[in-house]
This record gives sequence, structure tokens and C-alpha cells, in this order.
Amino acid sequence: MWELIRYSFLTKVRDLSLIFWPFLFPLALATAMYFSIGQMEEADFETIPAAVVSRADRAGDPFLTYMEAAEESTGMTDLQVMSEEEAETALHNGEIDGIFYSGEVPSLTVSGSGFPESILQMLLESYTESRQTLKDVEELHPEGLEAAAAEMAAYGSVTEEVSLGGKTTDGTAQFFYALIGMACLYGCFIGCRSSMELQANLSALAARRCVSPVHRLRWILSETVVSFGLHLINMLALLAYMKYILRLEFAGSYAAMLPVIFLGSMIGVTMGMFITSIGKMGEGVKIGIMIGVSMTLSFLAGLMSTGIKNVIDKNVPLLNRVNPAALISDALYCLNVYDAPERYAQDLTALAVLCVLLLTGTFLIVRRECYASI
Amino acid sequence: MNIVKIENLVKRYGDTTALDHFELEVREGEIFGLLGPNGSGKTTAINCMLALLKYDRGSVQVLGKEMAPDEYDIKRQIGIVMQDVAVFEELNVYDNIDYFCSLYVKDKKRRRELTEEAIRFAGLSDYRRSYPKKLSGGLLRRLNIACGIAHKPRLIILDEPTVAVDPQSRNRILEGICELNRQGSTVIYTSHYMEEIEQICTRIAIMDHGRSIAVGTKEELKSMIKTGETVTIEAVLLDREDLADIRELPHVFDVRYEDQCLTVRCTRAKHNLIHILGFLQEKDIPFGRVFSELPTLNDVFLEITGKQLRD
Repeated sequence: MWELIRYSFLTKVRDLSLIFWPFLFPLALATAMYFSIGQMEEADFETIPAAVVSRADRAGDPFLTYMEAAEESTGMTDLQVMSEEEAETALHNGEIDGIFYSGEVPSLTVSGSGFPESILQMLLESYTESRQTLKDVEELHPEGLEAAAAEMAAYGSVTEEVSLGGKTTDGTAQFFYALIGMACLYGCFIGCRSSMELQANLSALAARRCVSPVHRLRWILSETVVSFGLHLINMLALLAYMKYILRLEFAGSYAAMLPVIFLGSMIGVTMGMFITSIGKMGEGVKIGIMIGVSMTLSFLAGLMSTGIKNVIDKNVPLLNRVNPAALISDALYCLNVYDAPERYAQDLTALAVLCVLLLTGTFLIVRRECYASI
Repeated sequence: MNIVKIENLVKRYGDTTALDHFELEVREGEIFGLLGPNGSGKTTAINCMLALLKYDRGSVQVLGKEMAPDEYDIKRQIGIVMQDVAVFEELNVYDNIDYFCSLYVKDKKRRRELTEEAIRFAGLSDYRRSYPKKLSGGLLRRLNIACGIAHKPRLIILDEPTVAVDPQSRNRILEGICELNRQGSTVIYTSHYMEEIEQICTRIAIMDHGRSIAVGTKEELKSMIKTGETVTIEAVLLDREDLADIRELPHVFDVRYEDQCLTVRCTRAKHNLIHILGFLQEKDIPFGRVFSELPTLNDVFLEITGKQLRD
């Protein structure tokens, strides 16, 4: 068994096409994305430093109370109360992305235009919409102002509901999540090769292996283990590249992403094995089919346009529940943006079900040892 | 003892019958040749023998047991050299042989010895670290063979191993097969090259349209047919009367005259050539080059099927 695994691993890591598509191509695409939308992505994954210049008594300033509650509930901002002079200096030095001025009509000053500034603007607008209610509370029940502000600024629950409705708050992150989904599916190239070498009706090499005294299950197991293991390494390398080279800071923990990557890699590999094992078309045709399938699924998951995934979520939600790329992307989004553990669990379950279905289908086909034609 | 016994084997692909009540018996220790034109069913027969192909009817026994996909004990004693080269492009010569040997031999030390032996046997010592894409067609075929025989199997099946191979490599391969046989392996060798089959095989089955149409040693096969000698005379001018007279010569049973070339097939007898040349001399008919050939397997095939083996 060890020899089967060792040689299977050696042959696969020396196959240039298996190095390029599942490993180098996602790295190259991540790099290209980083440089094309790099400025935005930085904001996607980091808290936004901002200052609040309070023009009223701190304890009775509904705006400040609201912003502090928002900071606590969302973790999106890093607010500091400063004097106007300090705040302007900090903004000038690039230490903060914006200054909120509290008062009758709160205002926001920013030094540029980008994703962090948009988030700050969104917070201000949110307060403006809630201001009248807070004012009423301040006049009628001043003791309940803090609780009311906290309730209204509870972005955590708001964003969770938004996610369940299919809207996303972070467009650029979705590109990277969809890219991870695509990279997972590109394990199909490794699975393709495994299948080509397992089925005697697909290659002379497989025929030669089939007539050897190695039990069929050993073949299948060794090929699956090596293909999956290799692709898992590819995916971990991609994550490490994103974290340490591109310095993309995902908000969620990397460890929490592992189950998604694990199942995604398995689905990619088994998808390749499954597609390759059906029919007797040439290897080139099957590779073409695999590229077509994986790219289409990635496109629908928002790899090329973030809007697509939302459109599908609204109109054909079932499609996103069976599209592994969308499920992977969504699970990562749940971890890093929504903080929606229930939906994350749903995504993982759907991925696991897909994985089991593909594995079963593949096994039923490749377990054959005797063929109707070769 | 029969090492392979195939009875009444029928294999159909839709409306096409690839094996039509095919019968075969291969005895231990022989080099058995399966000769037939392309598409005659040789490879299909081999694949059925190896339990790679399902068949519609009949039985296949290998090493005394009914062959099945999970008969791993039987498979352990078989070495197969496929028609298409089946090696890993990513492994060098040594690793390729070691890999295929490892499917049969677990002991590492023994495997190393067998791999080295196979490398020497195939004449690949200078290429042990070379990758398949760097090897010539002949060397690649030799590697293909080395991968199939490294574990010293009791039964070796070689399916057209010399296709597209230069004469030097071909001779080396054929000598190697004889050597393997001398070392104790039974060999089943399929080919559409009758010269190769004649050169190395102790017994031969001739196949056509999925049937075994004749089986025996080459002498037995040749004795099955009427032709004992074929005389060919070039650049000779003959008329109908002359041809009729030649047909009347003793032991002559077939006369063909085409493009001033006379081909006379005679039954097995002495002095056939002298009779024909005597006739031409008597009639004062000039002629060019003269050839006399003993029957070949092609003649056997021709006489049984009415067509050339090379067609």
C-alpha cells in the first residue's frame, strides 16, 4: 500500500498539468485579483480606525452611545474619542480613516474614498435614520438611552438577516472566497488523472494495473488518498499564500476554514474522478468538460461578478445550495463576514452531502474490474 | 498441463462478433503464438483471458482455475505486456520497473534484485535514470516488456510487443522472449507478423474473424495445406497453351501468370522446380530470376481463408 501511495504521489507531483491547474493557476489568479482590487480588500478584512469628536457631554451623547454600541456589536470599527485637533492630526497622518462629529446633525469627514470610508458613511446614515427614535427615548426615558442605542446598533443581528436574504455587504471578499471555491474544484484535474489510471477501459496503464494482483479497493483507496492529500496541500498553500504573502487578513480563524477546505478539496477531486469515469470520450474532451463545469460553477459563485451569486440567491436559491463553489464561498463568507454559524453549518452539511454523493457515484463506477469493451 | 484453456468463447460488441466460439489450449513451457490479421480478435481474446473483458459465453481457465477479476493468486503469476506502451512518463526507467514489480513482490530486497535483473535483461542499463520521453521507440518497447516481466511470472502474455520497432530492437526482444521461456516461463505471443511467430513459437494458433482456424506446430500447420512448394519465375513470356501445359505437370495444382511473372504452387514432392524449368527449356522459353519457396504461414492462412495474412 505504501508503495502504491508513494509512486502515485510521485507521478502526480511530477505531472506539470497537475501542478499548474490546481496549484499555480489559483495562486496566479489570487495575485492578479490582489493587485486589481488590492486597495479594497485591505479594508475588507481589517477593522476601520475612526475618531469621534463629541461636542456634548459624553454620557448624554446619543450619537457616541450609538457608535460605541455599533463598534461593540459589529467589530467593524475601532473608534477613539478625540478632540477635534487630535482627530484632524490623526486623519492627516493616516492613523484613522474618518472623523465623526457628534452634535445635532452628526457629520463625517474622511480623507479619501474607498471601502473603509463607505462603511463609516453607512454607519452615519444608519444613525441618522434612527436619530429621531433615539431623541424620543432621550427626552422621555433618558435612563434607557444606552440600551436603546445598543439595540438599534446591533449590527450583528442585522447583518445575519441580510445574509439569509441573500445580500452581501462585502463585494471584494466574495471574489477571494469564490476563488477558493474554484481552487477547491480544480482538484478535479488530479481526480481525472486518478480515474484515467484506475479504469482499464480508459488507458493501457490502467489495464496493466488492473491485471496485477492488487485488490481493487486498495487501488481506489490509494488513489483517492493521494489525490485528496495532494489537493489539500495545494489548498493549504493557497491559504498560506493569501495570508503570508498577500497579507489578506480573514476575520474568522483559519482553523475554522479548514473543514470547508477539507470538504471542498474532496469534492473537487471526486468530481474529477466522477466526470472522467463516465463515458469513453478522450482525455482531452473530459478535461474540457471539467474546465467548463468548474468555471461555470465558480462563475455562478461570484468569481467574475459578485452580483451573479446574489441574483441566483434571489431567483434560483436551490442552485446555490447544490453548487459546491457557491457553498464553499458562502461558508467562508459566513465565517469571515456574517458570523452566522447556523448558515455555516448548513453549508458544511450541504458540502458533506455532495461529497458523499460524488464519492458513492465514483466508487460505483471505478470499482468495476471487468468491462464490456476496452 | 494446460496453463490456459479457453472453450467456446463468444464475445460480441453489439452486432459485431469479436470472438466466435473461440477455443485455445496453451501448454506449460511453450511459446504459443496467436497469429492473425489486425481485427481478428487476438487482443480481445487476451483481454478475456485476463478477465478484463466480459464475454457472452464460454469459459476461460488459467493455471487450472476459472479466471475471474478477483483471482489475485492467478494474476500474481501472470506478466502482461500490452500492445500500447503502458509506463509512467513521470518515472524513470528504474522506478517504472520497480513500481510494476512492487505490485507483485512485497520484499524490497528481492524487488531490487528483480528490477536490476529486468534492466539488464532489457538492455536498459545505460538508461536506468532516463525518463520514457527520452527513450527511442525500441527502448520504450523494451521498457514496456521489462515492466511486464520483472517479477518473473509463470505465464507471460505479450500482445504485439514489436509494433513500430526497429529490426535491431525487434531481434533483441525476440531473443529475450526465448530466454524467458528457457528460464521457465510459458509465453503467449500475439502478432500479425508471421515471420516473428515462425521464428520463436513452438505452437501456433491462426485466428480470423474471432475464430481459431488452425492450431499446431509450424510444421503441422504447413502440412495441413496442399502447398508444398511455390515456384516463382520472373520475366517469362507465356501463352495460354503454355500455361495449360504447365498445369499438367506433375504435382502442380495452381498456376498464376501476371505481369510476366509465373507463380506455380506444387504439392509436397521432389524435383518440382526441375520439372518446371525442364518444361521451359524444352519449349525454348527464356526466363529471368527463379525463386523456390517452402510454404509459409501466409500460405496456410491463404489456403484456409482465401486471403493473404497481410491483407
